[in-house]
Amino acid sequence: MASGLEGPLVVLLGMAAFPISLLLTRFFMSFNSARGIYGVDVHKLDKPSIPEMCGVSIPITLLVLSAIYTAIYPRDLLMMIAFSAVVASSSIVGAVDDRFRMRGIYKPALIVFCALPIVFLGYLFPDQVYNPTLRVPLFGGFNLPIIYPLTIPIAVSVTSNTVNMLDPLNGSMAGGITIISAGLLAGLLMKGAESVSVFLFALLLFASLGFFYYNRYPSKAFAGNIGQLSVGAAFGTMVILGRVEIAAIVAMFPHVQNSFFFLSRIKGFVEHREVTAKPTYLSEDGKLVASADAQSPLTLVRTLLVGKPSQEGEVVSTMFALFVFSSALGLATLLLM
Amino acid sequence: MNYKALAYQVLIFSAQWALMLVGLGLLSRIIAPSRLFEQSMPFGRILDAGIKALAALCLSVIWLFLWDRQVRFLFYRKKARAEMPT
Repeated sequence: MASGLEGPLVVLLGMAAFPISLLLTRFFMSFNSARGIYGVDVHKLDKPSIPEMCGVSIPITLLVLSAIYTAIYPRDLLMMIAFSAVVASSSIVGAVDDRFRMRGIYKPALIVFCALPIVFLGYLFPDQVYNPTLRVPLFGGFNLPIIYPLTIPIAVSVTSNTVNMLDPLNGSMAGGITIISAGLLAGLLMKGAESVSVFLFALLLFASLGFFYYNRYPSKAFAGNIGQLSVGAAFGTMVILGRVEIAAIVAMFPHVQNSFFFLSRIKGFVEHREVTAKPTYLSEDGKLVASADAQSPLTLVRTLLVGKPSQEGEVVSTMFALFVFSSALGLATLLLM
Repeated sequence: MNYKALAYQVLIFSAQWALMLVGLGLLSRIIAPSRLFEQSMPFGRILDAGIKALAALCLSVIWLFLWDRQVRFLFYRKKARAEMPT
């Protein structure tokens, strides 16, 4: 449990992520533009080219500040090694996907391997990295010494890829993760959680917020797979290290719905760009419209557009309102644990 | 903001949250404490864990199925009014 001034101090250290991420994003906007690394904003009538892969600023910020935290609190070295290894390796997977366009199945498969450092370190140093007792709201918890370590790589892969899938509109990934992290951070502070958990959630909150400044509607920077996968993997790892698994699932309800309906319709791991029946399309007046094609996946954006075509900014606002509600439920779950 | 869609989603999330708490209660109070295989049996501990994991998986599938029904009922009951892309 964070003692005395330690809680506020680690939050302050996490807040340092905001200016670092902001400056790095600005830097990568120029750097990537100069190298022709662009993505097309398909939800605008004039189809502007936006600097892509700028989300690399988030994993860099996470790694730098994790190193500083470890230097201040070396007792959490093992957790920070596990966290940094997952963030760094998932960033590499994202970068490779951005540059070489992997098939849909490779991303979840490779992220499974990225999460192995948590399992190995947990095996070598029991109870110092993760705790296999799953805490359940209202009902205590149960010890899962066999199943828990086996599910860690799957859990990290799921969070990473589900975050990757819910970034169809400007600012939706960064804004959503910022809101979820804020909700869980509030819960951790109320519960007087361990400093390392408080720090990690504050870190991701402010790193995402710094990137969100340029990624918000209308976007001036795109995250790319490097940003999306690393943020999702970082979140999955933090959830395991911070022991907030159930609360995080609740806070991620919008992600769960989006991924479940996408996968259940497509019946496999397929890249969005490979889906022929698009869930939404852009009308001539610049509004997003839900497709009436029975074959297109029932994504969250399509669901929010049913019967009411809207401007992109309006849909993003509705998504953020959903994230606020799911985060409030997540916070309630955390307080019940 | 699409307030109608937001209200439906809030309803779905609340229902799923309540169902999740009930499911976790079943898991932690009934399924997890039960001993389905003797621990002294060869692989007894692993079989026991496996069966319990399977029970959790079944509950998750039911939970997702109920989620699916709610979304289809609230959003896709009527034929979508949107037009096909031209």
